[in-house]
Amino acid sequence: MNIALRHRFFLIAGLVAGIAAGPAAAQAPAGKLVLYTSQPERDAAQTVSAFRKVYPGVDVEVFRSGTTEVMGKLAAEFAGGQARADVLLLADAATMESLKRAGRLLPYPDARLAGLEPGSYDVDKTYFGSKLITTGIAVNTSVKARPASFADLAKPEYKAQMTMPSPLYSGAAAIMLGTMTTRADLGWGYFEKLKAADAIAVRGNGAVLAAVANGEKSYGILVDFMAFNAKAKGSPIDFIFPAEGSPAVTEPVAILKTTQNAAAARAFVDFILSDEGQKLAVSMGYIPAKAAVGMPSWLPAGTKIVVMPTDIPRVAEANSANLKRFAEIFGN
Amino acid sequence: MHPTAELRGPFEDHALLWGLVFVVGILSVLPLARLVLEAVAPDGEWSAQALTRVLSSSTTWTATRHSLVTALGGTLLAVAIGAVVALIVSLTDIRGRNAFVFCFVLPMMIAPQVLALAWLQLFGPSSPLLRMIGVAPSPGKNPLYSPEGIILVLGVQYAPLVFLTLRAGLRALPRELIEAGLAGGAGPLTVLRTVVLPLMTPPLVAGVALSFVSCLGNFGIAALLGIPANYLVLPTLIYQRLAGLGPGVLSEVSALSMLIGFIAVAGLLLQDLMTRRRDFRISTASSVARPFELRRWRLPVEALLWTFSILVLALPLIALVLASLVPAVGVPLTVKTATLGNYDFVLFGHAAAKRALINSFTLSAIAAIVIVLIAVPLAYFLVWRRSRPLALIGLLIEMPYALPGVVLAIAAILLFLKPLPLVGLSLYNTVWIILFCYLARFLVLGLRPVISGYRQIDRTLEEASQIAGARLLRRLRTIILPLVAPAASAGALLIFLMAFNELTVSALLWSSGAETLGVILFSFQQGGDSTYAAALGALTVVVTTALMLLTLFMAGKLPPGVLPWRD
Amino acid sequence: MARLTIDRVNKSFGAFRALDNVSVEVANGEFMAVLGPSGCGKTTLLRQIAGFDKLDSGRIAIGDTVVSTEQLHIPPERRHIGIVFQSYALWPHMTVAENVAYGLAVAGIRNPERSRRVTAALTLVELDGFAERRPALLSGGQRQRVALARCLVTEPSLVLLDEPLANLDVHLRASMEDEFARFHARTGTTMIYITHDQAEAMALADRIAVMDKGRLLQVATPSQLYREPADPTVAEFIGEGMVLPVEIRSVDGRGTCHADLYGHGVRMRCANSQRPTPAARACLRARDLRIVLPTASGMGARIDHAIYQGGYFRLEAHVDAAPEMLLHLAVPEPFLLTPGAAITLDVADGWVIPAAPDDGEGRRAK
Repeated sequence: MNIALRHRFFLIAGLVAGIAAGPAAAQAPAGKLVLYTSQPERDAAQTVSAFRKVYPGVDVEVFRSGTTEVMGKLAAEFAGGQARADVLLLADAATMESLKRAGRLLPYPDARLAGLEPGSYDVDKTYFGSKLITTGIAVNTSVKARPASFADLAKPEYKAQMTMPSPLYSGAAAIMLGTMTTRADLGWGYFEKLKAADAIAVRGNGAVLAAVANGEKSYGILVDFMAFNAKAKGSPIDFIFPAEGSPAVTEPVAILKTTQNAAAARAFVDFILSDEGQKLAVSMGYIPAKAAVGMPSWLPAGTKIVVMPTDIPRVAEANSANLKRFAEIFGN
Repeated sequence: MHPTAELRGPFEDHALLWGLVFVVGILSVLPLARLVLEAVAPDGEWSAQALTRVLSSSTTWTATRHSLVTALGGTLLAVAIGAVVALIVSLTDIRGRNAFVFCFVLPMMIAPQVLALAWLQLFGPSSPLLRMIGVAPSPGKNPLYSPEGIILVLGVQYAPLVFLTLRAGLRALPRELIEAGLAGGAGPLTVLRTVVLPLMTPPLVAGVALSFVSCLGNFGIAALLGIPANYLVLPTLIYQRLAGLGPGVLSEVSALSMLIGFIAVAGLLLQDLMTRRRDFRISTASSVARPFELRRWRLPVEALLWTFSILVLALPLIALVLASLVPAVGVPLTVKTATLGNYDFVLFGHAAAKRALINSFTLSAIAAIVIVLIAVPLAYFLVWRRSRPLALIGLLIEMPYALPGVVLAIAAILLFLKPLPLVGLSLYNTVWIILFCYLARFLVLGLRPVISGYRQIDRTLEEASQIAGARLLRRLRTIILPLVAPAASAGALLIFLMAFNELTVSALLWSSGAETLGVILFSFQQGGDSTYAAALGALTVVVTTALMLLTLFMAGKLPPGVLPWRD
Repeated sequence: MARLTIDRVNKSFGAFRALDNVSVEVANGEFMAVLGPSGCGKTTLLRQIAGFDKLDSGRIAIGDTVVSTEQLHIPPERRHIGIVFQSYALWPHMTVAENVAYGLAVAGIRNPERSRRVTAALTLVELDGFAERRPALLSGGQRQRVALARCLVTEPSLVLLDEPLANLDVHLRASMEDEFARFHARTGTTMIYITHDQAEAMALADRIAVMDKGRLLQVATPSQLYREPADPTVAEFIGEGMVLPVEIRSVDGRGTCHADLYGHGVRMRCANSQRPTPAARACLRARDLRIVLPTASGMGARIDHAIYQGGYFRLEAHVDAAPEMLLHLAVPEPFLLTPGAAITLDVADGWVIPAAPDDGEGRRAK
C-alpha cells in the first residue's frame, strides 16, 4: 500500500475501534467524585484507593470527620445553596433517615442488593448499609469480674468503672440509646441505674477504647471492630457480646440528590456493595453486610451475633427527645 | 508650596487607613454578618424563632453561667502563672533563663487535646507516675472531670500567652525606674507593686484580654473534661446542637454564637476602660537590667520553676513518646514490645500525615507574617489616631477568635461555597479557605500585643521622624516597626503556635490534599488509633523544637527582644 | 530662612482653653523665646507650629506659606522645620550617625554627600568620633547635641527647641547656651525656643514672648521685659519682680513720675500715657531696694530671714505698713542682722505697670 492509503486504513480502523469501544467507554465512570464520610481515617483511605483500582478514571476527593462535623458541613452547604458532596458514607441509618426525610437523597433503584439482609437498606433504596458494626462490652484483661450482659454493668461491683460514648456527640451511640430505651428489659431505667453507678459518657468510641485499654476504666461500651483491631495489635482488651443482644449500626452509603456525577456515585455504591468492597470491609476488621463473603478473623467461627432490632424511622423521630432526656439524667 | 504636594501627605494616610478597614472588614465583619444573617433570617426570611428558642431555654443560661465561671477562673490562673513567671524570668538573676523560657513556651506546640489527654492519664488512677509515688487515686471519677479541672487545664494552657505578652513588655522597662524605687528605700516587692506592675498595665491587660477570650471560646478542653462531667459551656452546647441534627440547627448555632460574642465584647470593654485614661509611656533609651537579686531564694525559686516546667511539659511529652512506642493502646512498654511502627506508618504509610505537616506549617507561617503586617499599621491608627469607628473595629476583630472554631468554619462555608463573584475562583475545600479563617481568627492574637507595644512607645519618636520629612509608610517601616518588633514577634509566635495545632476550624473545611495537623491527629484519636496520634504529636514537637532552635542561629540579625527565649 | 506668623490662634481641649487668641510675628532670623510657667500653653503653641495638632481657629504661616488654618493643615513632614525635643527623641535602634542621617535619607540624598553632611553636623556639635555609638550609651549632654545635629543637618528654615536644656546640669546648661548662641550667630536660622527658665530666655533671645494660661502677655526684648513689664504676671515672672500697690501723685511727662509707696515717696519710671491715679501697681526689682540708716527716709520693715547665696545674702523682709507683703533684696556678705530685726528700706527705682484695657480680651502684642 502506498502511504496515503495506509493512512486512510489506520484512520478507518481507528474509527471502527472507537465505535466498538464507544458504549463501553461511555459506561466507565470518570471525573470527580466527592465523598463525605465518618469512617476512621485509615479505613477511608483504604476504601478510596481500592475503589480507584476498580474505577481508575474517577478522581475522589474525601472529607473525613465525625458525624457531627460532616452533618454540620452539609447543613452549611445546604444553607449556602450548593451542596458539594456526591456520596455519603456515614455511621448510622438514623442520620441517613433524617436526610432522606429532608429530601436530600437520590434513590438508586437499580442497586445490586443480592446477598444483603432486607433490613440493612432503605425500602425506598436511598441508602444501603455496608457493614454490621455492633456495640458491646469491652473489658480490660486485668479485671476479674466479667459482665455478661448490659444489665450486669449497672450492678454495684462495677461501680465507677464504666465508660460509654455520649449519644449527645456520637451518632452510633444515639442509635444505641434509641434502641435500648425501647426495650422492656433495659429502657430508660437502665440508664438511670448507670448514672447511679457513676458511669461517665465520653466523646466518642476512640476515647472509650483509650480509657479501657489504658486501664483508666475497666469496662466500656464500645464498637466491636475497634476493640478487636486493638486486641489484634496487642492491647489488653477483650470484647463481650452482651446477652440481650447487640445494638448495631450499618454504616450506610447514599447518593445526594444534588450530585454532580451520578454515574460515578452509583459506581461507588456498587463498589461498596460488591463482593470486592465487602471483602475489603472484612479485611479492615468489620463484619460485612453481605454475610456470604466471610467474617473478620477476630470473630470465632460459629459465633452467632444477636442484633437488637432497631426501628430506624422511629429512632430518627425520637432522637432529639431522647438526647434531651439523656442529658437530664446525666445531670446537665 | 505646590498644591498636590500638600495633598499627598494626608492622602497616603487615608489610603492606608481605608485599605486596612477594608481588609479587616472582609476578615472580621463579613463572617460575623453572615452568621447574624443566618440567625435572624434563615432561608432568606426574617424570623426571630431561633433567637427566642435559644434565649428562652434554661440550658442556654446554664451553659452561659458555666462559660463565665471557667473563662474568668481560667484567665485568673493563666495571668497568675504567666505574670509571675514573666516577672521572675525578666527581673531576677535566675540561671538557665533561656532554656527555661524555651521549655515554658514549648507546651503551646503540642496540640491542646493531646496535652490534656496526657494529663488525664498522668493524674488518673492508671497513672504509672502516681502509682510509683503511691498516691494514685482509687478508680473512680478522675478529678479533672470537673469545672475545677477545666479551669486548671485552661489556666496552664494559656499561661504562656500571658507570659509572652508580658515578657515583650518588660523588655521596655528601663533599669532606672526600678533602681529609683529601690534607692528610695522601697523593698523589691513594693517596687514591683508600685512601679513595675502599673507600668506593665498595657501588656498585662493585653494578656488578660487574650486569655479571657481564649478561655471563653475554647472547645477542646471543655469537651474533653466537661462532657464526662456533663458540664456544659457555650462552645460545647453549640457542638451538641449541631450533633442534634434538627431542622434550623444553623440558625440556633448562629444565635448561640451571638451570645458568646456579646459576652466577649462586654469583657473587652471592661478591660479597655482600665487602660483608657492612663499614661504608660516609657521614653528613656537606657538598657534593660535585672536588678533583683534573689540570694537565698534563688535555688528554691529555680526549683519551683523547673518543677512546674517538668510537670507541664516534660511529663506529658514523655507520656506522649512512651505512648507512641507501643504497638497498641494499653500495651505496657518493654524492650520487647517497643516499636517504631507507628512512626513508620505516620511518615511513610499515610501520605496525608506528611501533607498535613507541610500544610499546617505553611499556613501557620503565612498567617503569622500576614497578620503582623496588618497589625502594625492597624495598631498605629487604633492607638495614635483614635476615633469611635476605629474603636468599634477594634472590638469586632476579637469576634472571630471568641467564637468557637466550628462556628467560624460554618460562616466561611456560607460565604465561600459559591465561587468568588468577580474572579470566579472557588476557595471552597482548598487550603485557601482555611487560610482565610486563620487570618480572621488569629488577627487579634497579633493585634493585642502590638497595641500594647505602641502604648509603651513615646510618640515623640515618631514625631521626630515626621519632622525629618518621613511620610507614614516610611515611618512605619524605619521607626515604628523596629520599636514594636518585640511585641510584634510575640504576636507572630502566638499565631504560629495556635494555628499550627488548631483543629476546630479546619475540622469542617479541609479535604484531601488540604489536611491540617489537628485534623489528622483528631481523626486518629477518634478512630481508636491513639498510637498513631501519639507518634504524630511527638513528631510535631520535634519539628517545631528544631525550628525554634534554628531561630537561635538567626538571633544575631534580629532586633533585641524579638525572640522570647533569647536575651 | 523664614519668618513665622501666628495670627489669632485658638485651641481648646474640651473645656480647657490651651491657646487664647495668640498672635505674634517672628522675624526672619530672629531668636525668639517663648517663656512661661508649666501649663501656660507654650508646648501647645510649639505643637501647633510644628503641625502635630490642628488649630480651632486662626492662621499660622511659615515664610509666605500658610501651613495651618481651620480648613487647611499641612502635615509636619511637609513643613521643613527642625525640632529639638525635650526628651531628645533619639531613635534607640539606630546609631548616632544613622539618627543624624535620617532626614537626609528621607530627602533622597545619597552617599558621599550624605555622610559628608553628617560628619559636618557632628563636627559642628563637637561629637566627632561618636558616629557609631548608640544613644543609650551617651550622656545627657551628648544626646542633646546629637538631637541638635539631627535637627540642623537638613538645613531647615525654622528651628523649634522644646525646653532643650531642662534635663541638663548647671554647667552643661551654660555651655549649651553658648552653643545655641554661637549657632544662631553663625547660621542666622530663625529659632523659637520654649522654656520656663527666664535666665536662659534672657541670655539667648532677641525677643521674648511671655505666656500664661494660654494667653500671650507681652512680646518684647529681654531688657524691655525686665525694665517695663506690661502686666503684673510678667513683672512677677521676670526677675522675680515684686508688684506693690502705689498711688501716682504726679507725672512729669518724660517717662518718670512721683509715687507714694506705703507712705514713702518714690520716683519711678512710667509709660508716657500714665496719669495720676490712687490705685496703680508698681514693679520693683531686688536691685531697686537697699537698706539705709534708720534715720534716712524709707519704709520700715522687719527681716524675715536671710539666705546665703555665696558672696551675698538674699534678704526677705516684711513691710511694716503691709505685713503680708514680702520683699526681697540682695545684701553683700557679711550681714550681721538677724531675723526679726527692724530695718529701713529705700526704693531707688520702679516701674509703674500700665493699667489693663477694660475690654476683657487678652493683650494684642506686637
